[in-house]
Amino acid sequence: MKRMQPHKSNYLGILGWIWGGNYRIERYLYTLHRVTGLGILLFSLIHLCVTTFFRMQQDSWEAAMTILHNPWFKLGEYLVVIAFAYHSLNGLRLILQELGFGMGKPVPPIYPYRDSLRKSRRWSMALIGTAAVISLVFLYDFIVGG
Amino acid sequence: MKNTYLWLAQLVTGILIAVTLGIHMVWMHLDTILSALGIDATEPTSWASMIQRSRDIGWVVLYIFLLAFGLYHALYGLRNIIFESIQSRRIRLVVTWSILAFGILAFAWGTYVPIILLSK
Repeated sequence: MKRMQPHKSNYLGILGWIWGGNYRIERYLYTLHRVTGLGILLFSLIHLCVTTFFRMQQDSWEAAMTILHNPWFKLGEYLVVIAFAYHSLNGLRLILQELGFGMGKPVPPIYPYRDSLRKSRRWSMALIGTAAVISLVFLYDFIVGG
Repeated sequence: MKNTYLWLAQLVTGILIAVTLGIHMVWMHLDTILSALGIDATEPTSWASMIQRSRDIGWVVLYIFLLAFGLYHALYGLRNIIFESIQSRRIRLVVTWSILAFGILAFAWGTYVPIILLSK
């Protein structure tokens, strides 16, 4: 059987992550999910290199840690913490929705239509609130702990 | 059917990363709060603390599992994003094998160092 190919003129590519029509908040949360995922992947690979290459000798470890305690690196580290808090909570929301939790029972499509995603928007709000609280707790430790 | 299982593994590893990376994040970045709660987590990035964790089998097992879950979840996600832009079956095959080879190499290197340190 011949594979269906998407129509080229209808293909937005990466620009479609930003704008592809009448997007709702969930679509931007999904885009942010991808961006934070790619950011965490990049950081993790650098982190893996640092924590393995400099781990064999005390001198090289301490020299690497001195560089990483620079305020700019600490700021970058904090951004990774926020990205992780967001990515994990939004991922949990996506898993729950994909498995049908919190979506409500199916109803006949009678006007005015109600889509299940909007009905479960409280999950999105709870996610944003929880990610903000976690980020503030970590911010406190970053400021107080240095 | 194969893709269904690969996607299911993506969801399961996501939850497992949230747990294992959550432990790592709390230990490494909430040391002030943990110390206030009476848990000794001061200076987690110091050489002494790092070596102490490296010799603790519990931490080593946690990090190796985190590495395995993280590599699978991140590289499978990356593959899905790349696949959205590529329609050619041949290029998709090259992408899949390149990502798989990279993942195996990263896992081998990432487990070799902690195991060497554990046996020192």
